[in-house]
Amino acid sequence: MTSRVLVSIRVPAAAMTAFTVFTQEIGLWWRPNALFQFTPRDPGVLSFDGGEGGRFIETLPNGKVFEIGRVRAWEPGRRLVFGWRQATFAPGQDTEVEVVFEALGPAETRVTVEHRGWDSVPAEHVARHHFPDGVFLRRHGDWWQALMDAYRGRLA
Amino acid sequence: MTPAAVLDAAFDAARLDDTLAALADPHRRRVVDLLSERPRRSGDLARQIGLAPPAMSRHLKTLRDCGLVEERHDGPDARVRIYSLRPEPMAYLKQWLDQMEALWSDQLTAFRDHLAARAP
Repeated sequence: MTSRVLVSIRVPAAAMTAFTVFTQEIGLWWRPNALFQFTPRDPGVLSFDGGEGGRFIETLPNGKVFEIGRVRAWEPGRRLVFGWRQATFAPGQDTEVEVVFEALGPAETRVTVEHRGWDSVPAEHVARHHFPDGVFLRRHGDWWQALMDAYRGRLA
Repeated sequence: MTPAAVLDAAFDAARLDDTLAALADPHRRRVVDLLSERPRRSGDLARQIGLAPPAMSRHLKTLRDCGLVEERHDGPDARVRIYSLRPEPMAYLKQWLDQMEALWSDQLTAFRDHLAARAP
């Protein structure tokens, strides 16, 4: 096992349509889930507020807005990256979702979701120990992989 | 889902957050590395990592609090404590990732159904 989640599906639409519906109609197709509430309150409606640099938000029934994450990449028809933070996460703890739209035909697209960063390092720790970001995060990822491998036998 | 199952899941999520936060520190990861080889005394850990005993005590307390390590007394001297790893927190992480995979699988299925329903 790894410390990321990778899920893929084929959908009956062109890549650009799939991207547009994924982002503009997420409030319609997303199914609220008791296990994965972003906040402890009743679930609200998800939406993307703006393109790159914009926000992925949940608007709660009481009108309050919870920012799940920033939009880090917005490439219509191809790729979307956004932050994912639940209210229960520890300070500085963050995860990231990348959605890739790959055209398989004029009206068929493979949509792949990679949810990573369960092994992420809170930014203040990186700063405190003066590790260059990339190196530290990669080593941290390797470390997690090794730890998970070491535990595999015990988790079975 | 029963209310009890929801409570369990919330409990697991809180535990997972503690685990991730505890392991965000390089010194504590080094402790886990050393303990994955074999149980050790806190004094040995402090020497190996190059930390003063009080600093090591604080790190070990954090690791104990989130259940990653456990301590036991060894021999007649109650001050000597042996630390070892516990697998449960990592089991939480595995369970969480499995549930997250199930969530995305459900959501992508819902997305596909939504697309299929709106197609001409």
